[in-house]
Amino acid sequence: MSATPLLRIEDLRTYFYSRVKHAFVRSVDGVDLEVMRGETLGIVGESGSGKSVTMLSAMGLVTAAPGVVTGKVTFNDEVPQDLLQGLEARVEIERRDGRIMRVAKDNPSWQKQVERNLAGVRGRKISMIFQNPKMALNPFETVGQQIAESVRLHTKLNSAAEAREKALYWLDQVRIDSPRLRYDNHPFGLSGGMSQRAMIAMALAAEPRMLIADEPTTGLDATIQARIVDLLDDLKNRLGMTMVLISHDIGVISRLSNRIAVMYGGRVMETGPTAQVLDEHAEGHPYTRALLASTPRPENVTATGRLPAIEGEVLDTINVPCGCRFHARCHRINDAVRARCEAVEPELFEIAPGRRIRCWLYAPQ
Amino acid sequence: MSQPILEVIELRKNFYPRRGLFSSLSKEKNARSIPAVDGVSFTLHENETLGLVGESGCGKTTTGKAILKLMSMNSGEIRYRGTDITAYTPEQFRPLRRDIQMIFQDLDAALNPKMRIADILREAIHVREADADAVTVQRQIYDLLDLVNLKKNKLSNYPSELSGGEKRRIGIARVLAVRPKLIVADEPTSALDVSIQAQVINLLRDLQDQFGLSFLFISHDLQLVELMSHRVAVMYLGQIVEMGPAKEIANSPRHPYTSILWSSIVEKRSREIPVTGSASAWGVFDFERPLGGCRFAPRCPVYAERGRPSICTDPANSPTLKVASEGHVVSCHFPL
Repeated sequence: MSATPLLRIEDLRTYFYSRVKHAFVRSVDGVDLEVMRGETLGIVGESGSGKSVTMLSAMGLVTAAPGVVTGKVTFNDEVPQDLLQGLEARVEIERRDGRIMRVAKDNPSWQKQVERNLAGVRGRKISMIFQNPKMALNPFETVGQQIAESVRLHTKLNSAAEAREKALYWLDQVRIDSPRLRYDNHPFGLSGGMSQRAMIAMALAAEPRMLIADEPTTGLDATIQARIVDLLDDLKNRLGMTMVLISHDIGVISRLSNRIAVMYGGRVMETGPTAQVLDEHAEGHPYTRALLASTPRPENVTATGRLPAIEGEVLDTINVPCGCRFHARCHRINDAVRARCEAVEPELFEIAPGRRIRCWLYAPQ
Repeated sequence: MSQPILEVIELRKNFYPRRGLFSSLSKEKNARSIPAVDGVSFTLHENETLGLVGESGCGKTTTGKAILKLMSMNSGEIRYRGTDITAYTPEQFRPLRRDIQMIFQDLDAALNPKMRIADILREAIHVREADADAVTVQRQIYDLLDLVNLKKNKLSNYPSELSGGEKRRIGIARVLAVRPKLIVADEPTSALDVSIQAQVINLLRDLQDQFGLSFLFISHDLQLVELMSHRVAVMYLGQIVEMGPAKEIANSPRHPYTSILWSSIVEKRSREIPVTGSASAWGVFDFERPLGGCRFAPRCPVYAERGRPSICTDPANSPTLKVASEGHVVSCHFPL
């Protein structure tokens, strides 16, 4: 692992506008992330925490206005490349009390700029697999054709025969049985697990530097889920791939990631090595601890047969509270820090090398 | 946990895939029927939770719907508190609908989007007491909200204005409004976030203690079922392959399928060593050309290990549920 990260996201903010509430939905609100070469970064969070939108923004796939409003995304392949180059020139921001209250953005021109920035990156350098493979695959083309198309677009192989051979190779790599038969199947002829494999094959066929997997196992049966996780684990080790794994399932994340970022209400609350973040007895953010304790596992059940639930609702990113985003649901808040928790949002305090926690309890003295 | 509240005996439900015009004229009409539920029997006791687990398509929801007569069945018998209700007409069954209720999987489809929360609950209360006066109804609506921990200011909202957790609570409140004895809960937390899921699970447990409810808890989430249920029934392709106390099913399964199912909990795999059977090269049972015998055989690691014994695929020798230990039955020729 070299010192420069393969992908660095700095101060990324992606807003949407709610016409009903006449307010911004602050889906991603100041996210900093780094993905090192060869590692798997797991992003965990509940629905609406901004985990998917963060990666979609980095890939320039957010088209709704206003979309990305601030941020810098650097992809350090051979030459460092700024994926959001030219953003600042197209956005005018009005801040009040440090918060963005109004955004004017030239969206059509920005969309064109994004396409220019990312033309050589999407697919070829960073590939993405999505939660719903049935929606992501083209229903009118056979699975094999779609993978072969990815091969021809993104690699040097250009002849139809070579692309076909390569597509068959990738179908075999993702352990689809009898690839020669499956090559001619349309997506509707495949089961959910099989479609997800085909999606992975298609993403890998471009031979990317980095793979973003957005909820790759959600909606699959437990037994199929386990096999997709096994497959990703195997591919990761064999191909030495850099991966960003987005999931709400702590089990999947813990199995595959080297490092974890926990998101809540559009912010990264905690980052660190997997074992440390998920160790219930180690130091950590109150949100992560509470989340771990509330998963239905036999060892989490209290003497009265109940689960230690997190009270309250998941943060809505329209009315973002002052102070820490989690303070209203926090069970470790105490009088010594309460005033600060309610008024000022904490930074990501570094408590050990590579271990950061956004919580006033961990503020340096 | 003494009296049985619900007995299901040899329940069968076939589905017929839609056929084209010409094939529907052919003679072999029933050749392609799919037995979604194929001879399911179980007993649910008072104040008990029976978990029903299995992969998608194994017939667990169909079983639940057949019990509530939301779906017809081909054969079988359903007894509620000792009375055979199989042949009840809709009119005969109507009074029982107050006793047997269902929590549906789809939050948005279960609540009428054009009714305010207060009206949804009021309607349910009127089902129980048609001539209740407005004051009583209002008081009961408040009581229901208290039960499910919801604030009163939500009453004038429409379902679309509520979060997933709140909608789920309203769904539960509406079910409770008729004071049921038996609740069929079909994936009650599948659409919810982890932190909200724990709240709903605690709520269901409290309500069971408070009102002595019985639950048929249908879910594909194994850890959740293990936690919620007193007993668990594992279904595979329309049949119960193993049934027993929740702890035993989870910790010492006897059927190879149960073992694979529990060992495939991703989180467990990361901590412990995978248990029996690799997940690779699984065959799939073909309903159109059944091999006969055990339906799990094509995927079964034990069948493969033992050199494909002929008894497993012998149509005349399908495995039946046999007692493995007290209160624990398993349908396998070679239980683990």
